Amino acid sequence: MTTDVLVAADSPAAEPPQRRGGLSPLARYLLIRLALIVPMLWVLVTLVFFLMRVIGDPITAAQGGRLTAEQIAERKAEAGLDRPILTQYVEYLGDIVRGDFGRTLTDNREVTDILLVNGAATLELSFWALLVAFGLGIPLGRVAARHRDRWPDVVLRLFAIVAYAAPVFFVGLLLKLATAPFGWPTAGRASTATELTLAKVDPQTNIMIVDAILWGEPRYVVDVLQHAVLPAVALGLLTGGVFLRLVRVNLLQTLRADYVTAARAKGVPERKVVSKHAFRNALVPVVTVMGMQVAMLLAGAVLTETTFEWKGIGYELAQYLIRRDFLAVQGIVTVIAFIVCVASFVIDAVVALVDPRVRF
Amino acid sequence: MRYPGKSVIDQSHGLQRFMLLLGVGLIAFFVVLAIFAPWLAPYDFDQVRGDDGTLFGTQRPPSADHWFGTTVGGTDVLSRVVYGARTAMEVILLAVAISSLIGVPLGLVSGYLGGWLDKVLVLVMDALYSFPSLLLAIVVSIVVSGGSSGALGGIASAAISITVIFIPQYYRVIRNATVSVKTEPYVDAARVAGVRTPRILFRHILANVAQTLPVIATLNASEAILTLAALGFLGFGIEPSAAAEWGYDLNKAMPDATNDIWWTGLFPGLAIVLVVLGVTLLGESLNDITNPLLRTRAAGNEGELEVELAEDLTPAPEVDAPQEQAASTESGPPRRTAVLSLSHLRVSFGTDAGRVVAVDGVEFDVEPGEVLAIVGESGSGKSVTSRAVLGLLPSTASVEGSAILRTPDDPERELIGMSPAELRPIRGDEISMIFQEPSTALDPVRTVGWQIVEAVRAHRNVSKSEARERAIELLDLVGLPDPATRVDYYPHQLSGGQKQRVVIAIAIACDPDVIIADEPTTALDVTVQAAILELLLDLRERLGTAIVLITHNMGVVADIADRVVVMYRGAVVEQAPVERLFAAPAHPYTRALLESVPHLGRPKVTESRPAPVTDAPVVLDLDDIVVEFPGGWGEPSFRAVDHVSLQVHRGEVLGLVGESGSGKSTLGRTAVGLQQPTEGTVRIDGERISGLDDARLRPFRSRFGFVFQDPAASLNPRLSILDCIAEPLRVHTDLPDRRIRDKVTDLLDAVELPRDFAERFPHELSGGQRQRISLARALALDPDLLIADEPTSALDVSVQARVLELFVELQQRLQFACLFITHDLAVVDALANRVAVMQRGRLVELGSRDEVLRHPREEYTRSLIAAVPVPDPVEQRRRRAARGDLLSGV
Repeated sequence: MTTDVLVAADSPAAEPPQRRGGLSPLARYLLIRLALIVPMLWVLVTLVFFLMRVIGDPITAAQGGRLTAEQIAERKAEAGLDRPILTQYVEYLGDIVRGDFGRTLTDNREVTDILLVNGAATLELSFWALLVAFGLGIPLGRVAARHRDRWPDVVLRLFAIVAYAAPVFFVGLLLKLATAPFGWPTAGRASTATELTLAKVDPQTNIMIVDAILWGEPRYVVDVLQHAVLPAVALGLLTGGVFLRLVRVNLLQTLRADYVTAARAKGVPERKVVSKHAFRNALVPVVTVMGMQVAMLLAGAVLTETTFEWKGIGYELAQYLIRRDFLAVQGIVTVIAFIVCVASFVIDAVVALVDPRVRF
Repeated sequence: MRYPGKSVIDQSHGLQRFMLLLGVGLIAFFVVLAIFAPWLAPYDFDQVRGDDGTLFGTQRPPSADHWFGTTVGGTDVLSRVVYGARTAMEVILLAVAISSLIGVPLGLVSGYLGGWLDKVLVLVMDALYSFPSLLLAIVVSIVVSGGSSGALGGIASAAISITVIFIPQYYRVIRNATVSVKTEPYVDAARVAGVRTPRILFRHILANVAQTLPVIATLNASEAILTLAALGFLGFGIEPSAAAEWGYDLNKAMPDATNDIWWTGLFPGLAIVLVVLGVTLLGESLNDITNPLLRTRAAGNEGELEVELAEDLTPAPEVDAPQEQAASTESGPPRRTAVLSLSHLRVSFGTDAGRVVAVDGVEFDVEPGEVLAIVGESGSGKSVTSRAVLGLLPSTASVEGSAILRTPDDPERELIGMSPAELRPIRGDEISMIFQEPSTALDPVRTVGWQIVEAVRAHRNVSKSEARERAIELLDLVGLPDPATRVDYYPHQLSGGQKQRVVIAIAIACDPDVIIADEPTTALDVTVQAAILELLLDLRERLGTAIVLITHNMGVVADIADRVVVMYRGAVVEQAPVERLFAAPAHPYTRALLESVPHLGRPKVTESRPAPVTDAPVVLDLDDIVVEFPGGWGEPSFRAVDHVSLQVHRGEVLGLVGESGSGKSTLGRTAVGLQQPTEGTVRIDGERISGLDDARLRPFRSRFGFVFQDPAASLNPRLSILDCIAEPLRVHTDLPDRRIRDKVTDLLDAVELPRDFAERFPHELSGGQRQRISLARALALDPDLLIADEPTSALDVSVQARVLELFVELQQRLQFACLFITHDLAVVDALANRVAVMQRGRLVELGSRDEVLRHPREEYTRSLIAAVPVPDPVEQRRRRAARGDLLSGV
């Protein structure tokens, strides 16, 4: 059966991957992918900038009612907000290119400083949550696929759906209800004493567990770990449920692929058929979707951080939103957009490494 | 498949039905709460005083007056939960409705039209989509309600915030579905018929894409609820005074959690979980039920088996053969001891429609070192039989009977009923398999060397480096050039023929006693097929392995088989040595099968074929056509057609042959304006049609018809047969409905199908019947030119023979010009006046049928003809000897 409509796609397959201009196809693909981040970021930054201007100017929004009209006008002129919007836009783009995300209105912090300090906290939370998510989602997904349509599968699927259906803050609330009577820490990244001590660590990484290890006293490490448990479980359950379903569905699909039958026909033991062929191939789409989960994880982090008063970037964002500090919001949102774009690039690169077919 | 309703429930079963009904039940419960909130809730959502004017009190535990207790604000928790359902439903309905109303048309238009608009929209939507949706919703909700304007509040503002984040989701799903549907043959068929773009979008694309919408909508609804709750939790979205909202209540309850006050947060939280659970269960069940890929195991399995089973369930081969005639077995020379003996083999499958018997009472022996061919058409059970032997059938299959394996080391072993652990040492070591599709039989993420090493080490206790040496040796043995380098290639870096060589290398890795080759050359071009068959014979000589060759191709059987087993509808109807089978077939089915196989060099359909008509007017004139496809980023463009000129005259069939990638289909699509040529001119009846846009091309559309390769894909599954055939008539004529109906009836008569087929749907027809419908549609406007692109290659030979006969008869009656594209030289021999041969985009040879097929001038044509195995063992042996090494190096 010949359909040579698609010859363009399939005939060069006979040749080994060609190198052009000294670049391997993989490198070229990654470069193109990297180049695509720029227009994507630009769209997001533009969108955020103009949305923020629709609301009105940040100073009136933040200080309106507290200051007189002249004071506001003065502040606006000071911040350069009285100039034409396009001028401001171009200038803002220029600042961003130079890595300057502006300063907050309410507490005059560098937005980049928020990124460093609070971003590190979010990074730490995401790390713990991913640990829980991978630890739960991948093995359980394999179990569910292996017992398809039997009770372990049923229970696990329901678990995954409930994990998805329960908002992070509700899970957080339940966890707090369950653990508070036993004196388990339910808020913050560490006890006040620990925080004060660890602030003295030099060099300061802002990643609490690293700081605690650098300080070298086990009780601080334990304290930090204890505080991390509830937020990690709350956020990790959500993502873990998604991973579980992804692994299950993809494994079911690859388990019926021809190469799996072929591996069985070779006499490869079933355990190896699943792990070396089915699972490895199932991971390709799983990793791709995980790229999209970064966005979900960040959104979840906003809620988790608010629930557990974990002073990450999401917590700060919510605080600035409540205070209507739109310059801070604009800066943080841009930074988050940047993180999302970079993360999805990294994921695509990982996919390209896992799957030899990804080459253009 | 109709959506809401009983049919969906009927299609589900067991656990799936439980989940579906649980979902529906939960949703129904909350819908009732939402609608009847004022009657069901004991108090108003913001009521803080009882009827007697006393305050409820704050954070009171559950009591008779307040079943769920009271909140920190002193309101009744139960009432707030009930009213919260109302808020949630309103927001979700609004958000889902508005976002689909905007996202779906955008996706359709962008996906179908492509180009600049599409690129920009994709970039914007991708940017929006990749951004954390909750943050976007917050920003939008501030813009809409907060900020300095505050024009909209409450439900509308929350709904709009959520709408904005869902538009990209609908857009993406619909756009991607549109992009994939628009290349479906039935959309091409509509374009060939001259159907206008809006009609294509709605009638052909939306109708087929829409089936994913309920699934997306329900899944989105659950996300909408979570987003609404999250907005409320963070203090954005709905103003607390405007409506009761669960997320807001949870926020207020958060400090209570550490003070042992559980009721304020638990109930609104549970409400969120239950609604989302209900909606998600519904969405997932719909997806499971309507997406055949995810159907539970009660439905079919792996590709080939699925096809065979599906064909089994439909009334299949159109051959009348007395079923119950005893299988005639040879009583020839005394037998050697068979390696593999099957007896009373019976395989059945559990399906939605109950148990289906695929194979019943199969018996045959495989002798050492022989090539035993099992032939039969789809649904004959030949693949099922071979897989049953190795225990490779899905778990829904049950196998009875006996399959005895005799090897030098182990006198007698019964394979049927062995556990997988007992079968494992046999698979690959004593019996191995070669698969039909080499590109799917190799694991795409492992190098070919890795896969061979795995096969070796599964049975031999050797080190990795020894196994690698062996792998290189095996690749050399199967004739893969430069094996020491290619051992590290991934499958996608090899061509189809090379991949099949790797699959064969895996199969012979442990010197098996029997190789089961399941259609090993069906997916390959003829020249590659010839080389692979050569290799199999060579291996048999060298290793003395018995080969069980499963095939539908009688030419292949004649080429290499020693003995033949003919299967029909799950049973063996005849077995005989190959010469005897072809010379004197005993069973009527075998006779019918051999009758219908087209035989290169011995055409019989067209005994009365007139000489080429070159003085008749030219209908299709292709002048110096070049078609190039743009390459990917930084890649050079690919030239699919390279300066081809040819003409087709009225009343003439021009056979266009070539292997895959030769550009023949692209040329056919260019001829009818489905593809614009990069250079050159296409003229129909002397008028130039290349370079015209769709609107200016439309008047010409009525002059040509197109028959596509895959009859299943070229008919829109959602249109009745009447609508399928009538489409060109409705587009190009103003005939009233009654006249159109008459015309369709005539066309059904012409293609020899019953008139009541007009009311049926494509999936209710067999492959041959569907191809007749395609032919009827192509002929509806009495075209001057018909392009047929591999119209019979998806059909079984007996069906193919009938469709070809019909085709020739209609062509001679209606005298249209025809460009008949095929890879099968025997088919061309049967019906073409002239033949054109293409290779890698270039026209190699063009001449009358006899010139090209009997006295080819070009080397390529000669090798092509030499590679086609003819269904006659005696003649084929002579041809094989004569062709010598014409085909080496393929």
